[in-house]
Amino acid sequence: MNPALWAAKTGLDAQQTRMSVTSNNLANVNTTGYKKSRAVFEDLLYQNVRQVGASTSQDTQAPTGLSLGTGVRVVATEKNYTQGSMQQTGNALDLAVSGRGFFQVLLPDGTLGYTRDGNFETNAQGELVTSSGYRVQPGISIPDGAQSVTVGKDGVVTVQLAGQSSPTQVGTIQIFDFINPAGLQPRGENMLIESAASGPAQGGTPGLNGLGMIEQGSLEASNVNVVEELVNMIETQRAYEMNSKAISTTDQMLEYVTNQL
Amino acid sequence: MDRFLYVSMSGAKETLRAQTVNNHNLANASTTGFRADLSAFQTRAVAGSGFASRAYATNSTTGFDQTQGALVQTGRELDVGVQGAGWIAVQGRDGREAYTRMGDLRIDASGLLLNGAGLPVLGDAGPLTVPPNASVMIGGDGTISIVPLGQGPETSALVGRIKLVNPPAENLARGDDGLFRLKDGTDAPADASVQLASGVLESSNVNVADAMVNMIELSRHFDLQVKAMRTAEENAATAAQLLKA
Repeated sequence: MNPALWAAKTGLDAQQTRMSVTSNNLANVNTTGYKKSRAVFEDLLYQNVRQVGASTSQDTQAPTGLSLGTGVRVVATEKNYTQGSMQQTGNALDLAVSGRGFFQVLLPDGTLGYTRDGNFETNAQGELVTSSGYRVQPGISIPDGAQSVTVGKDGVVTVQLAGQSSPTQVGTIQIFDFINPAGLQPRGENMLIESAASGPAQGGTPGLNGLGMIEQGSLEASNVNVVEELVNMIETQRAYEMNSKAISTTDQMLEYVTNQL
Repeated sequence: MDRFLYVSMSGAKETLRAQTVNNHNLANASTTGFRADLSAFQTRAVAGSGFASRAYATNSTTGFDQTQGALVQTGRELDVGVQGAGWIAVQGRDGREAYTRMGDLRIDASGLLLNGAGLPVLGDAGPLTVPPNASVMIGGDGTISIVPLGQGPETSALVGRIKLVNPPAENLARGDDGLFRLKDGTDAPADASVQLASGVLESSNVNVADAMVNMIELSRHFDLQVKAMRTAEENAATAAQLLKA
């Protein structure tokens, strides 16, 4: 069928994808540690119908040619790693990373996941786990009978045991960073996994070598800006309408041909 | 049959092509840094026997819209938009230097600075790489400075400068990949007067109201051509009937 129809169709497709990204952002406006995404658009290949500069006679050349664009596509969805705001919860096991870096978690399939959601709890064995029950790596065990848990900005976890005057250190929480965090692959459940684009994970002590620090008793809120997403939504809707109008206009043109001739 | 049928047919065919260009522009109404395609009709007179009344129309690409797109604030430190005239130099998939206004930059796992389409951004001496850093800043003249990992803001270091060019628009042509290159195949010299804004992206410069009006006009124009083709057919039918009687 006519390329005019297909160019407009790619516009509808791309706007539809952008709408999915926007609604996913809006749906995650209250998700702890969520980072907003955006759709990256690129124009599709151009079809060279008539070559510019082609010879029209032995010593003259066409000053203009005709290249027809074939539409648009979404090349990527890109995560934006700006810091979300800190929400005070007062819960001793709620941790947030202030600055760069992720918590490392052991996923059920044995691979390692990375998250900025520090909404931790303890399981029946006293191990520090995420709200889905996955163990934090390297593992931390809170002994039975601990009166209070303190996590320092450098990740050192200490507990106060009943009947002891000085606190006991039970482990250290490490933070992991990537050269290109935007290249991490989202896996759902607030988890991201390493990919070839993100580079390997580099672990370290919080606060050292550019890594973020740990804030105890806080959670990092989603960095979605609701107003921005709503403006995006309006823009997407209007662009979608215009592209659908372009399809119906081209359709009417072709319909006129079949009716008249 | 009267030859004006073919003149009308070429009119209808080329109008449909112009509609394709218009639909392509509309489809790219939200592509970062996109420049609208401009096309125009030209007459091609047909020489030959008889009265020289026939002139075909051809639709041709006459260039691109040079108006500035709106700068949309994103707050992301690696988003840049060109303010006013100028282009960002990138390495096209064919390895040659090409120009774009798409400034949604990112850094890949090896530290290479890429734009949103995954093309390496060029500095004064080839593709730019950015070492691991705590924060990165892009200045108004395209200089990239970083604060190295684990050090304070006082250690801010310059790592390179994005090549910005500003060749005359009539020397630039869009390639099949949507990137712009100089028509004579050379690389444009860097221009120090091109200004970048950081934390913003330039939106597409397609004027959607214009494109919608254009769409209506082209559609009506197309109908006229088809109507003329219909008239040619009626004329021929009437002539045939006269001969039969």
